[in-house]
Amino acid sequence: MAETILEVKDFGIEFHDHDRPERVVEHVNFTLQKGEILGIVGESGSGKSMSALAIAGLLPRKKLKKEGQILFLGEDLMTMERHKLRCLQGDEISMIFQEPMTALNPTMKIGKQVEEALRIHHPEISAEERKKRALTWLKNVEMDDPERVYEAYPHELSGGMRQRVMIAAAMVGNPQLLIADECTTALDVTVQAQIIRLLLEINKTEQVSVLFISHDLSLIRQISHRVIVMQLGHIVEQGDVEQIFNHPQEEYTKKLIAAIPQVEL
Amino acid sequence: MKHYGKKLISMLLTLLAVSFLVFAAFEIIPGDPALSKLGDNATPEAIAALRAEMGLDRPFIVRYLDWLLDCLKGNLGESYSYHMPVSQMIGDKLPITLTMTILSMLLTVAVSVPVGLLLSKYAYSKLDRAGYVANQFLMSIPSFFLGILLTWFFGLILKWFTPGGFVSYKKDFGGFLGYLILPSVAIAIPKCAMSVKLLRSAILTEADKDYVRTAYSRGNSTMEVLYRHVLKNAMIPLVTFWGMAVADTIAGSIVVEQVFNIPGIGRILLTSISHRDYPVVEAIILLIAFVVVLMNFIVDLLYRKLDPRMRRE
Ligand SMILES: Nc1ncnc2c1ncn2[C@@H]1O[C@H](COP(=O)(O)OP(=O)(O)O)[C@@H](O)[C@H]1O
Ligand SMILES: [Mg+2]
Repeated sequence: MAETILEVKDFGIEFHDHDRPERVVEHVNFTLQKGEILGIVGESGSGKSMSALAIAGLLPRKKLKKEGQILFLGEDLMTMERHKLRCLQGDEISMIFQEPMTALNPTMKIGKQVEEALRIHHPEISAEERKKRALTWLKNVEMDDPERVYEAYPHELSGGMRQRVMIAAAMVGNPQLLIADECTTALDVTVQAQIIRLLLEINKTEQVSVLFISHDLSLIRQISHRVIVMQLGHIVEQGDVEQIFNHPQEEYTKKLIAAIPQVEL
Repeated sequence: MKHYGKKLISMLLTLLAVSFLVFAAFEIIPGDPALSKLGDNATPEAIAALRAEMGLDRPFIVRYLDWLLDCLKGNLGESYSYHMPVSQMIGDKLPITLTMTILSMLLTVAVSVPVGLLLSKYAYSKLDRAGYVANQFLMSIPSFFLGILLTWFFGLILKWFTPGGFVSYKKDFGGFLGYLILPSVAIAIPKCAMSVKLLRSAILTEADKDYVRTAYSRGNSTMEVLYRHVLKNAMIPLVTFWGMAVADTIAGSIVVEQVFNIPGIGRILLTSISHRDYPVVEAIILLIAFVVVLMNFIVDLLYRKLDPRMRRE
């Protein structure tokens, strides 16, 4: 039987930073099994990023009301103490973001950023061993010259390379869950394909569960085992990728699928 | 390397331009050093003789080049009023002003960085707002007035030191440092306030950037994010300000040295101007220009150290 990594129960977010409270996510329920890739798709503003940030423990703590439960290996991340949550961040739960150009610290060497999760969570690992693992991961994400990249600064790399660096940094601690929020949106098509291929490969070899978020249905179809369709903060429909794309039940899903550009066919 | 070569050439050109302007300025400013040396009731013959002796009757450009060459050889000329080599005069006084500058910069850095970090950690809290008001206030008090207040309070009320009782560094270095503490505080306070303001706003700007969220996603605590990620990025604007502050302290030593009765560079500059002691004035202005240019160079160096994006040619 598959092991449940993540279980989100009746999750909701309400912003209180304006005159009236604003519900941006409501009644979200889903589970993610070990080794599974779960795609979340929906138009911009449908609450995908807010949900992802909540799972990664990165939502602001002020002016925000959260409800429901986010169970990671059975423990509720929403009520967990900060320091316990921090122990999971980067070690068991990693995240990569949309903007590879700004997501890396411009004044820190790539190597130091890739191995940071190890430094934080595994102080028992020696500096040489850390570097070795960082280099291994830089090689895993298909860097031609890992040694050079290790010593480089972010501005010396292209957007695609930086996103691969982000993947290496996210994977170096061997996490159970990798969250990728629009991680290919800022990249051009060939680089997109490379990132998708890499994520599929890593998912297989490392048995890491992936929450893959995108507004792009064709990418979601390529990568996901299961799919969640979101609209205006709600889940419209969820199911296996084949079922969602071949036998959509809801009007909204049908409309989205009909709108996919059919260039490949 | 090529960058530093270019930088060095532009430094030298700047100093050359300053030297010319300084020399030309005293050509245009009315007043005759020979006359001021001899007094108002000197005979025209005596004045003419002295002018010839001082070489003042030669054409401007010849005197300028002559002076420049001497300067390059390390011979800054002789003071009209003290009859001693200018280099020796400056050499005696420079350590005083320099020590004061270094002390005040150390104070500025040592106080403003922790305070700036503290205020940004508690941004928008009551503490931060109180800090803002205190900062605005301290930034607007001129150093000389602070100096007068400090002298009055610590010197006349608490009697911690004797106002005007300057201790020479050659006699008692500890006492000398002790005497310079209050003037350094007076110089440091407004600069410190400005640094805190700059650092706080730079930290808050950086804190909104994407890489900070990435740092949190790896399990960094707030303090670790601040020290390991944000601080280095936020120091970049501060370094520029500190470079300017050093140059400003040396140029501004005229006033503070007057208030605290310190016989430093500022003091001789003031007396030399009133005595039309041109060689001294020219040398000190060149010295100040040199410090400005040097600080620019150091700031550039630090910039490149802090920000790898600047290292591209
Ligand atoms: N600080 C905020 N206050 C109020 N509403 C917000 C705030 N931040 C985001 N939102 C809203 O939350 C909704 C969901 O945003 P997001 O999760 O980023 O959407 P997606 O990633 O699906 O494009 C959007 O409608 C957005 O306007
Ligand atoms: Mg989004």
